[in-house]
Amino acid sequence: MEQSNGPPQNGRAQPFFSAGGPLLKRFDETNASTRKGSEASTPPRSVVGIGNKVAKPDYSEAKIVLAMVGLPARGKSFLSNKLMRYLKWLEYNVKVFNVGQLRRTRAKQKAEQSVGVKEDHTATYFSHGNEQATKLRDSLAEDSLEMLIQWLKDGGNVGIHDATNSTKSRRAKIEQRVSCEKGFVVIFLESVCDDPAVIAANVALKVSYGDPDYKDMSREEAKQDFLNRIKQYEVVYETISEPQLSYLRIINVGNQVTVCRIHGYLQSRIAFYLMNLHIKPRSIFFSRHGESQYNVAGKIGGDSSLSLRGLQYAKALPALITDNIGDAPLTVWTSTLQRTIQTAQELPYNKLTWKSLDELDAGVCDGMTYDEIEATYPEDFANRDEDKFNYRYRGGESYRDVVVRLEPVIMELERQENILIIGHQAILRCLYAYFHDLPQADLPYVKIPLHTVIKLTPKAYGCDEERYTLPIDAVDTHRPKPKVMQQPGLPASVSNRKYYNT
Amino acid sequence: MSRHALELDPDHEFSRDSASCSSSIPPQPHRPNRLPMAAPLYTTASGLLFHAGKILVVTVGLPARGKTHVSRALERYLRWLGVKTQVISLGDYRRKTVGGAQQLPSDYFTLGEKTATTQALRQKVSEGCEQLIWKFFEDGGQVVIYDANNGTRQRRQNLAEKFDKAGIHVVILESVCDNKEIIEANIRSVKISSPDYRGWDPEKAVADYYGRIQDHERYYEPVEETTWPFIRIINVGEKIMVNNIQGYLQSRIIFFLMNIHNKYRTIYFARSGQSLVEHSYKADSDLSPAGWEYAERLKEFVMERRAKNLAERGLNPKERKLVIWTSARRRAHHTAWPFLTQTSVSTPSQSPLSPPPNVKVIEKPQMSEINPGVWDGLSPDQARKLYPDEWARFVKDPYAFRAPRAESYHDLCVRLEPVLVELEREQEDLLIIGHASVIRCLLAYLVGLPASEIPAIEIARGDLLEVRPASYGVQSRAFHFWDGPGRRRRGKSAEAEEMAPGEVDAKNFYENYAEDTRGKRKFKGVVIAEGQ
Repeated sequence: MEQSNGPPQNGRAQPFFSAGGPLLKRFDETNASTRKGSEASTPPRSVVGIGNKVAKPDYSEAKIVLAMVGLPARGKSFLSNKLMRYLKWLEYNVKVFNVGQLRRTRAKQKAEQSVGVKEDHTATYFSHGNEQATKLRDSLAEDSLEMLIQWLKDGGNVGIHDATNSTKSRRAKIEQRVSCEKGFVVIFLESVCDDPAVIAANVALKVSYGDPDYKDMSREEAKQDFLNRIKQYEVVYETISEPQLSYLRIINVGNQVTVCRIHGYLQSRIAFYLMNLHIKPRSIFFSRHGESQYNVAGKIGGDSSLSLRGLQYAKALPALITDNIGDAPLTVWTSTLQRTIQTAQELPYNKLTWKSLDELDAGVCDGMTYDEIEATYPEDFANRDEDKFNYRYRGGESYRDVVVRLEPVIMELERQENILIIGHQAILRCLYAYFHDLPQADLPYVKIPLHTVIKLTPKAYGCDEERYTLPIDAVDTHRPKPKVMQQPGLPASVSNRKYYNT
Repeated sequence: MSRHALELDPDHEFSRDSASCSSSIPPQPHRPNRLPMAAPLYTTASGLLFHAGKILVVTVGLPARGKTHVSRALERYLRWLGVKTQVISLGDYRRKTVGGAQQLPSDYFTLGEKTATTQALRQKVSEGCEQLIWKFFEDGGQVVIYDANNGTRQRRQNLAEKFDKAGIHVVILESVCDNKEIIEANIRSVKISSPDYRGWDPEKAVADYYGRIQDHERYYEPVEETTWPFIRIINVGEKIMVNNIQGYLQSRIIFFLMNIHNKYRTIYFARSGQSLVEHSYKADSDLSPAGWEYAERLKEFVMERRAKNLAERGLNPKERKLVIWTSARRRAHHTAWPFLTQTSVSTPSQSPLSPPPNVKVIEKPQMSEINPGVWDGLSPDQARKLYPDEWARFVKDPYAFRAPRAESYHDLCVRLEPVLVELEREQEDLLIIGHASVIRCLLAYLVGLPASEIPAIEIARGDLLEVRPASYGVQSRAFHFWDGPGRRRRGKSAEAEEMAPGEVDAKNFYENYAEDTRGKRKFKGVVIAEGQ
């Protein structure tokens, strides 16, 4: 990232070997005979056409049990959700195993079997003195760990054990159990929070977002019961001090981090990520550049200037942003391409250009229309539609390549406060998928229309989203997935905590 | 980090690394201005990362615990990020101002009661060092790594308080080592080649050094106080503990430290084989027949070299993995293809389809060559004609200039930053089959060359470069193993190519954008050996 210097100039010549001209095809044909390959019995696939699908990298060696530690309402679920989103975006297979949810599911099943008997899950259940319940809770935690380990064996990468794991003996049991599995590692992630305001907010969140435990209680009753539950845990809670454990301790998210005995690639990535998080309120704005001349012509890629309507959008944008944010500080990030720099030119904020925010490189297809590509290379074109995320344009990029290149941007975005990104369709799709936890298959079909500002406000369990469309016409550049393709719909509220089986 | 670091040292007379590092850097002219390293994440008017503040990293640890290794590695990385960083070493300063161990009073290293002269001498040395630190901060530096033992709590407290008062963030970096082998290796490889022991019998020097450490051990107080943020590194990165560390640059430092190690390993660099179209990025063309031949030869030669290297260290090649990184470009990962096939002679029992168990090829999309943008496929003459303005700017500053739609070297360095961290963390032998532009950036990082030098670094196709990280930088050697199309112009012998001055255009950085990069300065290892 650097301070913007003068806008680059437009390309003046059609590059050699563009898929638009006959040169590429002729090149592939004339070289068919020289592409002999090595003497190996399985020579690699020869190169023809305009792109191919690329397999996901092999992550099968990563087997991590991430056990949460912390009192209730200390943001454990916040951290585990956040981490899950990040790692899933990087295509690791991650799953949260929440002991509380297992408890509720089991209790529900039991209640269904024997009608009328309802287990008591009020604070007394969590009392250390309640021997029967303690035993029950222990076995629940163990069952949940077993499920997690089984899931890792079946191909998972990171299993998050979301429970309080508040005593040394409990943690010792987990460590012992995991050490029996070859190649598995366990790290503990302790979330400590001594800021009363944050705890109160967490408690309120828990009570108001329909925790099934409190279904039949009033808010006030529920809050009291939950505070009692916390007290029960506090009695036995032991912060991590065992010297042999690998652990991370996060104090008041983003304030302080202790890293202990963490080694390994993925582990260090996790630690670095957690060190960069904060929970200050802020918003992230996404906008595509205004309509460009290439958009009007239906061409992809390029480095064209804005169309007249695009320029109108650039004029109207500052008012929309300032109305929304008032006099709060904001930084604008653009790519190095003209259309984003032009779109940002009227904005009265500090601007930075990132090379990593440049649009997905369509390689040999850069500067062509979809119709032209389809006419010139019909088979290859269908190939892309089949698996758009994994399709890499020849001499260009796939969506996966873009995700890899955006990873440092995400890290920086997590650290920053209010940010407006003036970006491109594919880039914003990738960033949007990170904030909304969308699967890779849906990512290339996210709708990011022109002349629309998307405002994301990170909340405890996701992001709230608002969209503002300016009444300036623009072409639609979205290509829906052929055949039956459902738009990745988002639930009405995406930032609520999701309780399973309710 | 030899010469480059030397240049930045206040005075390069006393640096002790010349003996331990079989230097690989071509002699450089003494530059009057300090040039920034590669890949600043931000550029600000002041040259500082605006939100990071100034940081003093105080190393703590007994001698031979890897403090210098960690300090130098960190310095190299932070400079690469564009942060003005300087290691200030107490030992170096003492040797410069007072002299080697022989010139010192006998009680200089024994802790405890000292004569008044020794006290005064020690005082003078540490004050002098502190002055250097202040000066670096005053001159606009952002991070100082103070490489000294700082073994007592009192000393750390005094030091930290002083700098903290001036608004400088103090971070204690303790290096602990409980592995006797690491300590012994450290003493043998680094300490006894220090000027302190010039002319000594090695065994006697080792014994003397152990004596010096013993005295320290008696008085050493490990960092237990939590007054200041601290990082404790155990066995040079094997484990790491962090307390109370906050801030952006600090978290980057930790991430980096979590990934370094000083285990023995070799990093090999080789170019990808010749491709059918050498001047096009977009064509992403496959290997030419000569390229395939090159790939086979590369495999044989790497295997041979590696077996030799491992045998020298008494290591069994079967127990060690070879990791190969290539870009996602066809010519690069196809160059790695022969490594994935069994040589039928050595293991007839195995199916030829199963790759050898100790070789792993990883494709990294971040390692693609520099993107030439609109210049793709053009010859230098065409580019000059079609884009005269851009051409002029490019010739003026080949590192920072970004042609339309292209990447500058700066962009490439930023793109490669995650690869660098993974390079640091890799413990196995690593072969990087790379593009000319990518190898330039990675080598510049490893060797510690300034950004402006990057476009000029060259390793030719047919050379294998061996780089071995060591405490003070790297050792490197180059081997020439192949001659053929793609290495030099058709019909020219090696001598003719290198002798004809008219043909060698050292300023022809346009070739940056192509794989056919004849004509630039060569990156020379110490030994250029011919492959058998």
